[in-house]
Amino acid sequence: MKKTIKTRRLMIGLVAAAGAVGMGLPPQATAEVSDADFNALKQMVQQLSEQVQSLRQTNILDQQTHTQDVQQLKELQEKLAATKQTAEDAEQKSIVAAQAQAQPLPRAPIDEATVNHNFMILGDAEVQYVNADKQNGSFEMADFAPIFLYRGGDNVLFEAGFDFGLQNNGGTPGSDNNSSGYTTTLNLSFAQLDYVMNDYMTLCAGDLLLPLGTYTERGAGWLNKIPDDPLAIDLVPGSGVGAELRGAVPLGDSGKLLNYAVYGVDGPGSVDGTGSADQLDVGGNMGITSDGTTANLHNHPTGGARLAVFLPFKPHYDLELGISGQSGEWDNAGNHLCTAGVLDASLHLGSSFEVKGEYIISRFGSDDLGTIRQEGWWVQAGYKLAGLNLELPGINNLEMVGRYDSYRDGMGTTTDRYTLGYIYYITNALLFEGDYEFYNSSDPTVPETQLILQMSYGF
Amino acid sequence: MNTSNKLKALIQNPFVTVAVVLLLGGLVTTIYSAEPKSDAPAQTNSVAVNAVPPEAAKAAVRKQLTGAELYSIHCNRCHPERYPTERTAAQWKTIILHMQVRASIPGKQARMILEYLQENSGR
Repeated sequence: MKKTIKTRRLMIGLVAAAGAVGMGLPPQATAEVSDADFNALKQMVQQLSEQVQSLRQTNILDQQTHTQDVQQLKELQEKLAATKQTAEDAEQKSIVAAQAQAQPLPRAPIDEATVNHNFMILGDAEVQYVNADKQNGSFEMADFAPIFLYRGGDNVLFEAGFDFGLQNNGGTPGSDNNSSGYTTTLNLSFAQLDYVMNDYMTLCAGDLLLPLGTYTERGAGWLNKIPDDPLAIDLVPGSGVGAELRGAVPLGDSGKLLNYAVYGVDGPGSVDGTGSADQLDVGGNMGITSDGTTANLHNHPTGGARLAVFLPFKPHYDLELGISGQSGEWDNAGNHLCTAGVLDASLHLGSSFEVKGEYIISRFGSDDLGTIRQEGWWVQAGYKLAGLNLELPGINNLEMVGRYDSYRDGMGTTTDRYTLGYIYYITNALLFEGDYEFYNSSDPTVPETQLILQMSYGF
Repeated sequence: MNTSNKLKALIQNPFVTVAVVLLLGGLVTTIYSAEPKSDAPAQTNSVAVNAVPPEAAKAAVRKQLTGAELYSIHCNRCHPERYPTERTAAQWKTIILHMQVRASIPGKQARMILEYLQENSGR
């Protein structure tokens, strides 16, 4: 704009100067202008005209430049506006972010090892084939025994073991009520709440596996090396409803322990409420009362305890010795005591050899037969052929087992049994077991021999 | 039955006999396994014959069992050992609490076994 004004002023100035020159000259002089002066003036006018033309072109260029400047200015203004908007957006976002930081952090997945509770299922499953000498062979039993564990924090555990069983009615050796078909059963093996009070003591309450010997707590399914239970196990109860204190005290730093357990439970009961010898039910005091309701059959709890020493010499070499017993009234009238005692021992010599056993006695009074003295024992050994270091296919997965057990019911029946068998470890938890049993019994319903094949899985 | 006969019958009872033997055995084991008393005050001015060599003093300190050794010792009592990778760290925590109760394992040993299993667990 300023250049345009300058140009106009220059042009006006030149015209004014020319006018002034014309007016300033005397009239005589006009007539007397020489060709030289005229040419000089003409040249000057031409130069001025050229300058004017040049100035016009310059003006045009200036106008174009100005237009471009205006355009650039407009673009810059737009960019500035956009930058301002961006800055405002960024500021807004920063405010939102600051507000978000002031809020609690959202919950994120954490390492499951640090969670303060956990639920899981352990247990075992078995399928059993039996061929006794008095019957045709058959698949005798299928069993699924899950253990539900719920851990609450570091010191509380609830555990419940169930037993889903399918039993062939015709295949129970010694049973006098065989029939056709199968029976499906569901039993609660145990259900207890454990509170670890400290490193050396735990309080357990509920339906407890009783520490009478070790078989009850360590004999489930795949844990034992022989498919069926020792005969004398029936002399003592496997579980009871009550409370228990148990734990272990270390004997030095070498791993030796003093194990203990003290408990009080409902105890045995009478099937029909009388004190007749054949009515003892070691399974528990709970039952059907005379008015048809399920309740405690009598108000005489039973107390028991176990004390044991565990002596490891080094890994896989150890000896455990234990003594346990319980005593309490069993008949509804409270006239008779039922007392049981168990001695247990277990020895491991290397990872290949194990021998263990129990001696069990039971004494109980009765109305009709006086004091009944029952006893039984079992000793069982196993040797894993991997200990022989033989390079033969499959032999390292094989364990040979044997057992001798005996049962005296105190009322005239005695049974001895010899068992030879094997375990083939398909995996460390999947076992294929086979056993052949020889019976010598005063009970005519007991077979003389029996073959048992079992597939076991511990999970 | 007089007292003498009662005592005789009691001694002849195999259960009582074995129980007494076990209790005595446990008592002896307990005494044998008891922790050594704290070291006697150092006798810096004693003659060399009475001084305890440092090597012997070190040997007298019992070796502390590791979690892996305790794992082998306790699990093998009842069943074939399971691989640590079979369970997650959280599952081992629950299982070891179960085993601490079921197998009566002292808390400190249970924690050492758990630490070993979790370090080598599947996840």
